[in-house]
Amino acid sequence: MRIGVLAALAAIAVIADATLAPEIEVLGARPDFIVLVVVYASLLVGTRPATIVGFLAGLVVDSELPEYLGLHALALSAVGYVTGGVWDHLVRGNVFVQCTLVFGASLLHDVVYYLVYYRNHLDMLGPFLLRYGVPGALYTAVFGAVVFVLARLAGWRAIAHDA
Amino acid sequence: MLSQLLRLFRENRELSTFVVCAAASFILLGLPPAVKEGTSAVLATVFLDPFKRMTTGALELAGIREENAALRKIAAELAAERAGLMEYRYENERLRELIGFFVSFSEDERFEMLPARVIGMPGGRIIERIELDKGSRDGVGSGMPVIVPEGLIGKVVGVSAGRSKIEPLASASSAVSVVIERSRVRGVIRPRYGPVSDFVSWGVDYVPARSDIRLGDLVITSGLGGVYPPGIAVGTVISVDENPLTMSVGVRLAVDYATIERVFVLTGTREATPGRSDLEARLLDELVGPGPMPEETD
Repeated sequence: MRIGVLAALAAIAVIADATLAPEIEVLGARPDFIVLVVVYASLLVGTRPATIVGFLAGLVVDSELPEYLGLHALALSAVGYVTGGVWDHLVRGNVFVQCTLVFGASLLHDVVYYLVYYRNHLDMLGPFLLRYGVPGALYTAVFGAVVFVLARLAGWRAIAHDA
Repeated sequence: MLSQLLRLFRENRELSTFVVCAAASFILLGLPPAVKEGTSAVLATVFLDPFKRMTTGALELAGIREENAALRKIAAELAAERAGLMEYRYENERLRELIGFFVSFSEDERFEMLPARVIGMPGGRIIERIELDKGSRDGVGSGMPVIVPEGLIGKVVGVSAGRSKIEPLASASSAVSVVIERSRVRGVIRPRYGPVSDFVSWGVDYVPARSDIRLGDLVITSGLGGVYPPGIAVGTVISVDENPLTMSVGVRLAVDYATIERVFVLTGTREATPGRSDLEARLLDELVGPGPMPEETD
């Protein structure tokens, strides 16, 4: 059941990344909805399913850019694996903790992605992360706070309260 | 070595899942471009395209809705503007009907007034002709009277398609049957000349001696002769001289010919409706307010 919900959320996130994110771009920074879904997948269903969800969602996104097929899959599966492992050591029912984790996950995604993307021009990595990675991660973290508040309002204990 | 690796994977299933995913990702990244293209196409066709179609459809629908809303707004604005313009049109027609371009000089006939512009006034001290910018295609015909709000100008004596010529009251050959409005004394107004044929003034001739004429009396057309309708202002009595058989009456014309720019040609008559129509009465009420209620009689 949860896997089905996650698959639906991942599909929505892929669409939102392609359609909504460019519309709400602020100074070049866009929220990463797929990262958001993978982070909360790791919280809801654990590390392994989150890693697989990240990989599959990444593959779908990669199909848009065949030259780098597998790159988003790699970055998002890393996000699923790392956040899933980190959750076990964190206080879950805290909005700041969740926002920080979403921020870190988004940044991790960008680091992995651009590390491979700019593998022949690693000097580009730092400026690019500062210009787009950090603002985008902050933007995504804001949406993490929105998810937290909505989950708390809906009484969704897995996200808004300590397990 | 391999067995140790497999045992590690079995013991750490999460890590193994990630390693498999990462390995698959690197394998995909290392595929030849043609294979990547084919794989991407399959993935896109199966997973991405259906969502894209849905999203595109939804966005187009949203666009159509937006456009529809904008068009509805424009249509509403145009409808409001049209309603306003129609109101002006009706008001214009009502005012024309009521006070503007129809005029009655007597109870049984009413004239349509065609506005025209003066485009020429040849002549010296005596104005012999006035040219107008309206002609036969506008409904102007020979013999039609021409007036301005102040009074009589003359009559049309020549017409072409787009122009017409007027013989003004001021011309040397002009002679118009008039009546003193107050006393109904009749006469004929015509120009008078000085000793060297210079134009001096207008006077009313053929007025019997001891007629009831005073300084300041209004001189109007009598309607005799059939050219001019009765009741059009012609001028004011400025001098009265008694002679043994007739009176010499000096008149100052109501119209200053030197300043006229626009005139009205009385292009046709139609029977005036007795009394005021309901529409006219209602509009007059709107314009000047209702009159006093009629008193009841036994």
